[in-house]
Amino acid sequence: MNRLREIISYKELLKTSIRKEIRGKYKGSALGILWSFINPLLSVLVYAIVFPYLMGNVIDNYLIYLVTGIIPWTFFVTVVQAGTTSIRANAGIIKKVYFPREILPLSVAISGVINFFISCLIVLFFVLINGIGISWHLILLPIIAIIQTMLSLALILPLSAINIYIKDTEYIVTFVLNMLFYGTPILYSLAQFTNASKIFLTLINLNPLTHIMNSYRDIFLYHRTPDMLLLGCVFLASAVLLIIGYLIFVRLEKGFAEEV
Amino acid sequence: MNDIAIQVIQMSKNFKRIFDKPNTLKERLIFWNKSKSEVHHVLKNININIQHGETVALIGSNGSGKSTLLKLMSKILYPNQGSIITNGKLTSLLELGAGFHPDFTGRENIYFNAAIFGLSKKQIENRMEDIIAFSELGEFIDNPVRTYSSGMYMRLAFSVAINVDAEILLIDEILAVGDQHFQDKCFSKLVELRDSDKTIVIVSHSLDTVRRLCGRAIWLYNGEVAMDGDPADVIDHYLDKMIEDHDSSQTGPVEKVEGQIHFDEPLMNEIVVDVSEPLMVRGWALCNIANTTLKIYLDGMEIATAMRERRPDVLMTYHDMYGGAAPNAKCGWYCPVKLNNYTGLHSIDAILYNNFDQKIITQDRIQIKIEGNQVIS
Repeated sequence: MNRLREIISYKELLKTSIRKEIRGKYKGSALGILWSFINPLLSVLVYAIVFPYLMGNVIDNYLIYLVTGIIPWTFFVTVVQAGTTSIRANAGIIKKVYFPREILPLSVAISGVINFFISCLIVLFFVLINGIGISWHLILLPIIAIIQTMLSLALILPLSAINIYIKDTEYIVTFVLNMLFYGTPILYSLAQFTNASKIFLTLINLNPLTHIMNSYRDIFLYHRTPDMLLLGCVFLASAVLLIIGYLIFVRLEKGFAEEV
Repeated sequence: MNDIAIQVIQMSKNFKRIFDKPNTLKERLIFWNKSKSEVHHVLKNININIQHGETVALIGSNGSGKSTLLKLMSKILYPNQGSIITNGKLTSLLELGAGFHPDFTGRENIYFNAAIFGLSKKQIENRMEDIIAFSELGEFIDNPVRTYSSGMYMRLAFSVAINVDAEILLIDEILAVGDQHFQDKCFSKLVELRDSDKTIVIVSHSLDTVRRLCGRAIWLYNGEVAMDGDPADVIDHYLDKMIEDHDSSQTGPVEKVEGQIHFDEPLMNEIVVDVSEPLMVRGWALCNIANTTLKIYLDGMEIATAMRERRPDVLMTYHDMYGGAAPNAKCGWYCPVKLNNYTGLHSIDAILYNNFDQKIITQDRIQIKIEGNQVIS
């Protein structure tokens, strides 16, 4: 509780960090912040061209299916990658100034969710011009986004701390994220694999991102209520992971200034 | 208990001195049991109580652990044993311009920097005008920081740091900012903070600053508190110890013997009226060897060998100017000169001889004019 109060007393630092995170990333490039929206759109373009040829497309509205998968995925992957390096990247101030260290990963997660909400305008644009339209289910969007933020934060708190002690962490994370991209139904739908092995399906169903992605598609594309029981399970798992992750972070943070 | 601002209880801090840090997983796995590290005890069993409103200096030679202690107090580092308890809002000015972003303007950077110190937006806005005025940056405040000269950069950074309204201020060697005018301004700001019941802990190599600013000095020697008390006393002992260490570390002959000698009184061309008492001639002499003789001459005639005395002021100035201990503990000298048979212009020489080879190391001469002796002679 004391720590929470302290983070609140440093809220101006949190705000300026978030601002720097959002504005500073593409500073100096001609298109600036627009790149954080162009990048996922370009990947959508690549997959939309390539995959129907490779797989023989069976998903209706594949373009929308891709957009509703890739934009939340971009949110996840950006936060986890930037979050893992967030403490190391600020070694200079870690060594010289005291402030609650969790501000750094926290500002990465919050700037990610802000970016995501802006990116959702692109999703809305696509569903509108494609004639799919929108429904009241969109009010569930913040709930899903918050669960995803919690899950990301639960990962980056311990990862950013471990990365101070073992620098390989960030490269391992990049690899695992790459794997996870194919282990999550982003490019494909589980419905396509009717005769796949049981283990394969179980593994993908154990991936919390699977259910987060499905929920986004439910509200954007299929206009139906997501499976709230599954979403609740993901929420609980994220909450437990968040607590464990934060405890690891607190345990490790005392050595940051020495180890970095 | 509430009047204690900082309490350090039986605190020890070790650093692992690692010769080849295994940074990657591979190195960690391979060198699992062969970590070539040794533990270096930076601070050993430190006990310090600092009351609210005190201004305390930490002094000590390089590597004595004073900056580490300051970092421990500001919770950047954590102790291995014991604990540190602080009461009140604490700001550490260990780094100027933390969080400055070169592409943003001075004004925006004040926000970034002040936010790192834990100020709220409203608090920053309230101080904005003071900070800009103190930095003397004028209209440059709305230019990007990358266009600043290094002096302007440091001035802005210091202005933010000094205007952060904390109850406990930890300051590490940051007074050497900008030109003399700005340094004086910083110093008076610190005096103002000291007099306004703030608690200040300062690490400084400038003993003069310590003496003028602080009410208490703590001398750290090899990671332990060697002395704690009145700055003048502590500085005295500290300088003595430094000379002692310097002497014991000196092995082998000095390559080139050098020295400097100076008269404090009488002044050049001073008119001496009263000659009933011997004229006391005083000064100081510094030399990089200890075994010397200082002789006084009147009009080229040897009168006496000068007596040596302690001169803490000279040692302190030497320390601040050249950073280190002067080689001679008793660098002052004095010698009474009888003048009752003299009148008119006379010269006094002070010559420093090397006892080893009887060669002159250095010399100085002054002239005096004796009046008022005519009646007798």
